[in-house]
Amino acid sequence: MIRGILAGLIALAPPEFRERHGEELLLTHVNRASERRGFFRRILFGVGEAVGTVFLVLRLRLEPGKPSGVQPPAGRFRFFETSRQDLRFGLRTLRRNPGFSVTVILVLALGIGATTGIFSAANAFFFRPLPFQQADRLVRIFETNPEFGWTYADAAPANALDWREQVAAFEDLALYTEFSNQVTFLRDGEPELLNFTSVTGNFFDVLGVRPALGRGFRWEETWLGNDAVIVLSHAVWESHFGADPGVIGRSVDFPGGTVEIVGVMPPEFRFPDSAVQVWTPWGWDPANRGATWFRRAHWVKPVARLADGISAEEASAQLEVVVQRLQSDFPETNSVMGAGLMPFRQFLVRDIRPPVLILLGAVGLLLVLACTNVANLMLIRATDRSKEVALRFALGAGRMRVARMMLTESLILALTGGGVGLALGWAGVKAVGRMNPLGIDGATEVALDHRVLLFALGVSILSGILVGVAPAFRATMGGLVESLKEGGRGGSMGRGTIKAANALVVAEVSLSLVLVLAAGLLIRSFLLLRQVDPGFTTEGTLAVQFTIPATRYGSRDEVLDFYDEFLLRLEGQAGIVSAGSVGQLPLNGTSWSSQFQAEGWPPDRVGFEILHRRADEGYFETLGIPLIRGRLFSSADGPDDPLVVVVNETFAREHFPDEDPLGQRIAYDRAASEESTWYEIIGIVGDQHQVSPGQPPRAEVFENRSQDWGRNQWVVVRTERAPEQMVPNVRAVLREMDPGIALASTRPLRTVWRSSMAREEFLLALMVTFGVVALLLACVGVYGVTTEAARKRTQEIGIRVALGARRHEVIAMMLGRGMTVVGVGLLVGIAVSVPAGRALSGLLFGVAPLDPATMVSVAVVLGTAAFGASYLPARKATAMDPVDSLRAE
Amino acid sequence: MGTKHKSPEHPTPLTFRILLALADSDRHGYGIIKEIEERDGQGSAPNTGALYLALQRMETEGLIQDAPTPEHGGGDARRRYYRITEKGKRVAGAESARLAALVATAREKDLLAPGDA
Repeated sequence: MIRGILAGLIALAPPEFRERHGEELLLTHVNRASERRGFFRRILFGVGEAVGTVFLVLRLRLEPGKPSGVQPPAGRFRFFETSRQDLRFGLRTLRRNPGFSVTVILVLALGIGATTGIFSAANAFFFRPLPFQQADRLVRIFETNPEFGWTYADAAPANALDWREQVAAFEDLALYTEFSNQVTFLRDGEPELLNFTSVTGNFFDVLGVRPALGRGFRWEETWLGNDAVIVLSHAVWESHFGADPGVIGRSVDFPGGTVEIVGVMPPEFRFPDSAVQVWTPWGWDPANRGATWFRRAHWVKPVARLADGISAEEASAQLEVVVQRLQSDFPETNSVMGAGLMPFRQFLVRDIRPPVLILLGAVGLLLVLACTNVANLMLIRATDRSKEVALRFALGAGRMRVARMMLTESLILALTGGGVGLALGWAGVKAVGRMNPLGIDGATEVALDHRVLLFALGVSILSGILVGVAPAFRATMGGLVESLKEGGRGGSMGRGTIKAANALVVAEVSLSLVLVLAAGLLIRSFLLLRQVDPGFTTEGTLAVQFTIPATRYGSRDEVLDFYDEFLLRLEGQAGIVSAGSVGQLPLNGTSWSSQFQAEGWPPDRVGFEILHRRADEGYFETLGIPLIRGRLFSSADGPDDPLVVVVNETFAREHFPDEDPLGQRIAYDRAASEESTWYEIIGIVGDQHQVSPGQPPRAEVFENRSQDWGRNQWVVVRTERAPEQMVPNVRAVLREMDPGIALASTRPLRTVWRSSMAREEFLLALMVTFGVVALLLACVGVYGVTTEAARKRTQEIGIRVALGARRHEVIAMMLGRGMTVVGVGLLVGIAVSVPAGRALSGLLFGVAPLDPATMVSVAVVLGTAAFGASYLPARKATAMDPVDSLRAE
Repeated sequence: MGTKHKSPEHPTPLTFRILLALADSDRHGYGIIKEIEERDGQGSAPNTGALYLALQRMETEGLIQDAPTPEHGGGDARRRYYRITEKGKRVAGAESARLAALVATAREKDLLAPGDA
């Protein structure tokens, strides 16, 4: 990075220096840089080197014949001496006007801080290298299926294992998952749940990450029989094992038996996400590779390392060949199954990209608005200083000299503002990062690196130039005589300056309209989203989750009895009205999906992409999900009775539009046969949104918890008191039954509902903040210009009032001019909003990007605020006694 | 800052240090930095730009010249080596004498404890 800057600078040096010393200088720099350890030491060193090289180039260029290394006496080195003078003068001027300086610095800090904050998030997603070795050679592979509408689907393990062996372009391919399971570890004698995730044995090798201690997995350990090994995260190693290096080789209890700890990962490795505390191999039976289910169920995420020198396109072409071979070899599962690949980073950030780009655009506008505002303030102040400037010209100062002086001032302001802004932005990013509303995974880390620092520096310098140019131009381009004439009557604006200030106000009003409109649209969209009925009761309901360990509850009946007993005891608690159990909470994502056929359907009629969830009668009752027709599960539907399912309304509507679904028998196969497992539909319940209120409910089948059982259920309870207050009671009941089982998660359903809209809420909060700041900045701008205009026309106003004009007439006249400018700004803003709204449309729910109602209300809000901002100074101006007005100046 | 012009015979501290560093051996820029840091401590060396500015001007004035890459002991063909010239030795010697005289004066006036350098 710094080397690049130095190389660029040296390119500017005289050729004889470049040829003789250029390469040598860079080599020396690289040697010295490699000795620096630590982030800030490197930054400091880098800045010193860059400054030193700037001076080198300037001196070689400006003083070619100077004798060796003799330090230049003051005055001989004009450029720097002048700069120092400008700097000193600028600082003095700014100190003399602390109110003005502080205002300008704060406004700029706001703009630069917001921009830097959002940029540091964007930096984490788009620029910071992933924490893997040669991450640019990693690709993420996904399956596609036009029949199911799949675009970036998880892979079936059997397919992925075939790709690994048959695509030569892959050096190696590993499989992981974002699901995690829980295992109970004892920590100080208390059971505590740890999240573990399963991976193939080559997972760490493919990512190119070495364990901090011990070893990673081996490929053989992917398979059953060799899989009794685990790797710990650094955090768990510290919290549960006292950071003891002797843990390697130690045995611990795990679901399915005793395992050996073979490694500890470094602290910065948090993949697939920071919740993972233990990695284990999949432990697949090698016989699975021939089984149909291993090719039908899609739940693994493949990441591959490209072989040296192979491009993603080549790998993609080779993958396609294998995909087609699998299509013909396994028509039952693969007839329309495609696959694609994407650079790993691109895949990880594909959802986050649009909102982050929109936020970047928004803060960019805010920064321009802040700069416009400051430029306006500077312009107003420049007129106050017109006499001083005229005097300088008269005393023989060159135009360049005066312009440079003013630019130096604005640069000082911008750099100070930038420093404050960087601190503000970074604090903001830290605070937001803890909430993680954008769903950052374990591969990205928001950090204050050289990119963010350089960005902040660049933005500050740019802002300094932006705010300084207009006043510097104004101050120096007007001739001496004009300056004296214009400002001669005292420190108010000349006609040209008013024109420039009006143009700036138009810019401010239109920019803030765009931002306020974006905020308005997001507010409306969010309100609509909140009005969507999720299909279940969010109030007074609580969900908890735990795992029933296989070590102590081996059989199906033991697990079922445990749940039955637990639910019964919960319902006996004071304050709990009802209890039930479900495999996956609504608005919390989906578990698995499949295709199905009903009995008697022709072979070409298939229902695609139906979702599955395991539930009991108590689940529907507890969450207030209505039974539309038929019946719910009952004690008559035991584990060994005929299999029954309940479907939702969308399922009934989409798949049985003309028939009665009740009594139909369905099987989850594309070509169902006598051997298939058949389920009878016994009831239809109301829809629940599965992913978010913004996504319509999908067709779903509920399996009976007693017939299709699992160890990792959610238990939901309806409470009479605040749900949070019931957590200790639920925990006590669980402890009473088995002190060795810990609650993995406790979530009021209201929280589940809220967090399904967390991203929307976060975007809304940011945009509303930007909108409010924009509105305030626009008002300050309008107020400033109206005040100046009023000041310039104090005498005129005095004369009008003296001649008998009514006060409100004079106010109306002044407001008329001010509001014309605001009106032009609003019109320009509406025109600009058209493309801006279109960019926003992907984030909106139920509201058009150019929603007229929102647009009108935003224009009214902005217009009213601007009216207020120009009314105040107008009233003040007319409140003066006409005699005083005439005497003014 | 009163002096109008300083002759090369009266080198700046940096020039003098570079001459000292090159007095016993040809070195490349990084070698000079290491030598200065070894004598005067970490952080005493100038930034890289300032070093090469001095080297360029010393070369123009004939205080140092190009040296061939040393055959022995890990010479690096990509690098440029610098060698002190006769004139450079003379300037360094004169400066050393001047400094020595100053030190003698300081000692006479009891500014220097007997144990100090």
